Amino acid sequence: MAYLSINTFTECVCFLAAFVFLRKDKSLAWKMFIPFLLLTCATELGGIYMRHHLRVNNYPIYNIYLLFECGFTSLFFYYLYRPYHYPVKWLITWYAAFLALYLGELIHTNFSGFVSVTASVMSVVFVLASLYYYYLKLKDERFEPLLYSASFWWVSGALFFYFGSTACNNFLDYLAKYESITYNNSIRYIIFNVLDIIMYTFWSYAFICRYRQRK
Amino acid sequence: MQISTKEVISLIGLTSVIFLIAPLFLILYVLSYNRRKKQHRDDTILMQKNFETELLKTQMEVQEQTLKTVAYDLHDNIGQLLSLTTITLSSVDVTDTQNTAEKLALVEDLTLRSIKEVKALSRLLHGEEIVSRGLASAIDFELEWLRRSDKFEVVFNYDHDLTQLDNAKETILFRLFQEIINNIIQHARATAIHINLNQANGSCILEITDNGTGFNVDEALSRKSGMGLHNMVKRSAMINGTANIRSTPGKGSTITIQIPNL
Repeated sequence: MAYLSINTFTECVCFLAAFVFLRKDKSLAWKMFIPFLLLTCATELGGIYMRHHLRVNNYPIYNIYLLFECGFTSLFFYYLYRPYHYPVKWLITWYAAFLALYLGELIHTNFSGFVSVTASVMSVVFVLASLYYYYLKLKDERFEPLLYSASFWWVSGALFFYFGSTACNNFLDYLAKYESITYNNSIRYIIFNVLDIIMYTFWSYAFICRYRQRK
Repeated sequence: MQISTKEVISLIGLTSVIFLIAPLFLILYVLSYNRRKKQHRDDTILMQKNFETELLKTQMEVQEQTLKTVAYDLHDNIGQLLSLTTITLSSVDVTDTQNTAEKLALVEDLTLRSIKEVKALSRLLHGEEIVSRGLASAIDFELEWLRRSDKFEVVFNYDHDLTQLDNAKETILFRLFQEIINNIIQHARATAIHINLNQANGSCILEITDNGTGFNVDEALSRKSGMGLHNMVKRSAMINGTANIRSTPGKGSTITIQIPNL
C-alpha cells in the first residue's frame, strides 16, 4: 500500500492523460510529456521502494530526476517562447549555470544529500519563466482563448507548483531535520500533496486542451 | 525570544498557502485581461463591419446620385434635343430645297450634340471609375454638370500635387461632397459655390462655401433629420476625419472636411 499515495496517484493519472491525449500529437515537445511523466512515476515509485524496502536514503534517485526535470521543463518553456523569437543562448546559459550549481552542490554535500539549493534556484527560475510567459501573453496583441489554451494551463500548473513549493524548498533542511520521523503527517507532505494535485490536474487539463486543439 | 519548532512549521505552512494564493490571483488577472482583449477584438471587428457597411452604402449612394443625374439629363437635355430633331424633321418640305438643306444641317447639328451628350452620360455612368481617377477629377467631373445648368457660379481650386487617399476614404469624401452640393442645390438658394481641395499638415482638406441663405448650425444639428449634417459628421469620423460646419443665416455657409492622409 506504500506505493499508493496521493503523489503517485496524481502522477499516474497525469501520465495516463498524457498517454491518451498526446500520443498522436504532431509536436515532439508535447509528445515528450509521455516519457517524462513515465520517468516521474518511476522515480516516485523507485523512491518509495528505496525508502520502504531497501531502507536506504532515496536522495540519489531524486537528484538524478532533477536533471531530467530541469532539462525537460526548461526545454518546454523555450518551446513556448519560440514564437516570440526568444534567443536559444539564454537556454544554453541557464543549462550551464544549472549544471555548475548542481555539480557544485553535489560535491559540497559529498554526494550524500538532496541538492536543495539547486532545486530552490530551479524553482525560482521556473517561476520567472512562468511570469515571463504571462508577460508575453499580455503583450501579445493577438487574442487567444486562454481558457482553452494548453500552454497557458501547463504554465499555470508549473507556476503553482514551483511558486508554492518555494517556502518548503527554502526550509527543506529544517523540515527534514524536525519532520523526518513523522513525514507522512508533516507540513511538507501536505503541501507537496496539494501542489501535486494542483499541478497534475492543470497539466491533465492542458493535455485535454491540446487534444481538442488537434481535433 | 525562542521560536518553537511548531511555530516555525506553522509559519512555513502559512507562507506556502500565501504562495499558493498569489499565482491564483495572477492567473485570474491574466484571464480577465484576456477577456478585455477579446472584447477589444470584437469591438474592432464590429467597427470594421460597420465601416464596410457604411462604405457599401456610400458607394450605392454615389451610384444613385449618378443615376439621378442621368435621369435629369435624359429628360432635360437629350430628350429636348431629340424632340427638337423630330420637330425639325417633321417640318421638312422636300419641295422646298433651300429650306430642307438648312433644316437637315440643323438636324445634323442636333444629332451630333445628342451623341456628345450620350457620350458624356456614358462616362458619368462609370461612377466608380470616376472616383478611381482621383478625387479632384471626380469633383471636377461632377461640377461640369452643375456648371452647365448655368444656375451657379462655380469655382473649383485644388492642389495639383494632392496625395491620393485610399479608395475607401476617397469614395466617402466624394459622397460627402455630393451630399453638400445636393444640400446647396435643394436648400441654400445660392448663386455661387466655391470649392477648395488642398493639403495641409498631412491632411486632405475639402472646403465648400456658398453664398446662400445659410442656417443655424446648432439648431440644424439638434434636429434628428438635420439635413444629413449628422451623417456628414459621422462619416468623416469614420475615416478619422472631422467635419466643421459654419453658417450664419443670410450669409451663406462653409463646410470644411479634414481627412488625414494616413
